[in-house]
Amino acid sequence: MGIKIEDLTVTFKNKVTAVNHASLEIPGGIFGLLGENGAGKTTLMRVLTTVLSPGGGTVTLDGIPYTRENYEKIQRKIGYLPQEIDLYPGLTVQECLEYMGDLSGISAAVCKKRIACYLEKTSLSEHRKKKMRQLSGGMKRRVGLVQALLNEPEFLIVDEPTTGLDPEERIRIRNLLADFSQGRTVLFSTHVVEDLAAVCNRLAVMKKGKFLYSGSMRGLLEQAEGRIWICKARDERAAREVEKKYPVSSKQYVGDELQIKFISETPPELECSPCKATLEDAYIYSMHMDGRQAPPVK
Amino acid sequence: MIHEMKISLPLPKQACALCFVVILSLVRGVSDSYEIGVALEAPLAILAVSLCADTYTQEIVCGRSEIQRLYPLKKRVCSVYGRMAIQELFLLAVAVIGYGLFFLFQNPETAQTGQSGQGGEMCQFLVYFAAITVTLGFWGLLSNLLSILFRNMWMGIGCCLLLWLFTNSSAGDRCLGAWNLFSYSFRRLGNDGDLSWLCGKMVCISLGIMAAAALPKIIEKRG
Repeated sequence: MGIKIEDLTVTFKNKVTAVNHASLEIPGGIFGLLGENGAGKTTLMRVLTTVLSPGGGTVTLDGIPYTRENYEKIQRKIGYLPQEIDLYPGLTVQECLEYMGDLSGISAAVCKKRIACYLEKTSLSEHRKKKMRQLSGGMKRRVGLVQALLNEPEFLIVDEPTTGLDPEERIRIRNLLADFSQGRTVLFSTHVVEDLAAVCNRLAVMKKGKFLYSGSMRGLLEQAEGRIWICKARDERAAREVEKKYPVSSKQYVGDELQIKFISETPPELECSPCKATLEDAYIYSMHMDGRQAPPVK
Repeated sequence: MIHEMKISLPLPKQACALCFVVILSLVRGVSDSYEIGVALEAPLAILAVSLCADTYTQEIVCGRSEIQRLYPLKKRVCSVYGRMAIQELFLLAVAVIGYGLFFLFQNPETAQTGQSGQGGEMCQFLVYFAAITVTLGFWGLLSNLLSILFRNMWMGIGCCLLLWLFTNSSAGDRCLGAWNLFSYSFRRLGNDGDLSWLCGKMVCISLGIMAAAALPKIIEKRG
């Protein structure tokens, strides 16, 4: 059970290539997709949900090739939460989900049961009678996620599901996705690195339509190991000097001093010490490596 | 169906449509009851165009069409037909209310008086009702179809407006004659025996059926 992408290219009418000869294998379980804005993550997801047709290359889902005649078969297996969605503002949460469940072909009785179950899991039960327009951004996002789960799809594709959620809800949603991923495939795209760190074992990093990295979380961390350094700067001017020379992954005031975490392939020519790489550091490192193979640590 | 009604006919839409006929019945002068149908047909066509244009395009604008793509096409098409039916029925009710409002506000002269006069008025109303049903159905379907085709309701409205301007002009009347989409409005008033305007309504029905038949394919391709 999985998705296989080989040499996929998507070029829009304005000649912009959003996905450029990308190859990826997405196995069962939760698979993370990381990348900067405009990297092509959403375009890739839109191809996987059959909203866009691949311009070149092949995509298969559970061994089924993405061809027009197979679209219906593929669509039945997928649940999707797009990045931007405004669900029916004039309907209540319950009505909205019942309507979408009906459209997706779920029987009314099963639909009602699932709605009750997922509303409970997303802490929305008490808001079921509220109109969609009355909900906060985070609540709307959760309702969006519930609609994606309603037909209990084999493949769940979620584009930034935790946007606008408070920390407690983010954890709850992450756990929900982790539970849901048993025996299924969940493609989880996000900018929030710690969300992926909490639930994914495997991930891909995308930049300018290509995959910079694809593999295990541990592998990505190992790539950056020995290349993350930490130094202290007395003032902003000294910090700017470091920023000019090296890509900085974090800056933090500790007492009167600025603690700077930065990336360098070789031991830097300033007073610093190596430190353990976090997923965020590893992500920044892979973005700066830009697809080059990481050299072994000396 | 109640969900479709809430989605396709929110209160502001209903209020706008009702205000439209109230204002029209106040500002458009008629002296004879014969003229009411003529006064209402073309403006109501515009109302149908603007009301039905977002039947499906609201799904595109709100990003819901990306989810809808995963649903069975039959269900999606049925939902659009359902929304269209609800809106058309509402427009028909507005058209009937509009007819009554002209009587209320302008007290036009009726064709005849007495028992046969009442029958004549009823017959006149039924002819108006039949004609306006076809007109509303055609313009609503066309507007919805073009909006989906261009994935933009303003393009749908714009194209319909161009067709409306031509067919509702004297040039359109000269070119198309009895086959004009607004043949009911351009018919010779007072000559009840002249039914040549039915040709224009037949054109509306034919084009409307074609638009309704093309809808599933266009939703599949462009939805």
